[in-house]
Amino acid sequence: MAAIAVHQFAQCITCHAWSPDQSMVAFCPNNNEVHIYRLSQDKWEKVHVLQKHDQIVSGIDWSARSNRIVTASHDRNSYVWNLEGSEWVPTLVILRLNRAALCVQWSPKENKFAVGSGAKTVCICYYEQENNWWVSKLIRKRHDSSVTGVAWHPNNILLATTSTDGKCRVFSTFIKGVDTKDSRTGPSSDSKFGEQILQLDLSLSWAFGVKWSPSGNTLAYVGHNSMIYFVDDVGPSPLAQNVAFRDLPLRDVLFVSERMIVGVGFDCSPMVFAADERGIWSFVRFLGERKMASSGSKYGSQFSEAFGKLYGQSKHGVSTDAVEPSRSRGGVHENCINCIVPLRQPGISTVMRFSTSGLDGKVVVWDLENQADLSDYL
Amino acid sequence: MCLQNFPCQEVERHNKPEVELKTSPELLLNPVLICRNEAEKCLIETSINSLRISLKVKQADELENILTKKFLRFLSMRAEAFQVLRRKPVQGYDISFLITNYHYEDMQKHKLIDFIVQFMEDIEKEISELKMSVNTRGRLVATEFLKQFI
Repeated sequence: MAAIAVHQFAQCITCHAWSPDQSMVAFCPNNNEVHIYRLSQDKWEKVHVLQKHDQIVSGIDWSARSNRIVTASHDRNSYVWNLEGSEWVPTLVILRLNRAALCVQWSPKENKFAVGSGAKTVCICYYEQENNWWVSKLIRKRHDSSVTGVAWHPNNILLATTSTDGKCRVFSTFIKGVDTKDSRTGPSSDSKFGEQILQLDLSLSWAFGVKWSPSGNTLAYVGHNSMIYFVDDVGPSPLAQNVAFRDLPLRDVLFVSERMIVGVGFDCSPMVFAADERGIWSFVRFLGERKMASSGSKYGSQFSEAFGKLYGQSKHGVSTDAVEPSRSRGGVHENCINCIVPLRQPGISTVMRFSTSGLDGKVVVWDLENQADLSDYL
Repeated sequence: MCLQNFPCQEVERHNKPEVELKTSPELLLNPVLICRNEAEKCLIETSINSLRISLKVKQADELENILTKKFLRFLSMRAEAFQVLRRKPVQGYDISFLITNYHYEDMQKHKLIDFIVQFMEDIEKEISELKMSVNTRGRLVATEFLKQFI
């Protein structure tokens, strides 16, 4: 069994992030707050509640080295939280957005972060030392619809975005004064900010969940038409592969190693995709058991009561033999999984453990240590 | 039924069911129309955060027509109790359901589907029972009334 810990924190979790030492987890319980829980003596206790946003917090990221939390919310704002003493102090980031912020991620060097928004723009924010605040630069005029996912390339300059117009785009986010120009040839030689390096038009449906592989060679993103797209050699002539699968679409993906990726989505169980020696990707299996539990006859009880009250209980004799109650998918999560976060051990580039959170309010930690059939790909 | 929370692209700080607004065509998916015959149809329209199911119930004669209309209007007026029911059916249909991502977060998907199927079955049963009772009553009343002329 790959799931090693299941924690029920709230009724519904929008997104979550772990602290650098993995002792604390921050998540949004589907409202405008961020709750931080700490694991002490096998029990989770709520240590902080960050309350600054007015609407639901759509993205949380916790930087590993500088221990800062960035949160972005549907109220068009983003805050960077610094731990001072025992309190988290927020700093407002002027994003200059006029629609909701949908996703946020720290760059690998943690000097910048990217925010994707419903205003069809992406904001790249960096810290300006002279004025002691976070400044944003916008990438405008490129997206046709809301930006649903952002992902940084390991070189800290390239940024991949996915949008509900079905396209995945790669931009250069070189900022003078913040980034140093590496004497490397390749995609990072286009050093103008906001320059679109690549636009991938592979999906006919909305695109979500984009991630780069650990080396930055491969890009993967998910389409709402139950397909996952892999792009190698991102540059002037990329090679793309589509993998279609039978189940419900995914929401997010995570590269566990160069050749293995875990996807999570509406199926309530993580799916593993792997590439063989030739580099061809395919679906391997689901993680975790899939028990077929039958739902009880008390479906949506408040509805049947309301109905029964109107017409007398006798007429509404529960005849469940007439309609076969559909079975739940089983598995550890009961509802859609919408966020997957790696739990990296320092020094190791492959991810052995990761955690998922979903609309059922659970945060589940998974371990790939004992999966014999998957260890070839790690 | 894959819905997710999606803030409005047109108006800031708002979150509206996109299938009702239809302002951003890229957020809507192709509607599916399932027809059993001329008189029974089911239209399913989806978008990124909401889903609208409209059904047309079989009505064989005038009496069923009137009964269906009155009965479904009665239920739709009390739509709050049912949460997923829409107050007015879509033009051309008898009853509509609107399921948003909030329902998806609160309730489980397979139970929502079970509810809708069971609801429609119960409606059909109710209407046939009502029709039978109207006919029976009519017959009884007519018999009693005409007895005085025998």
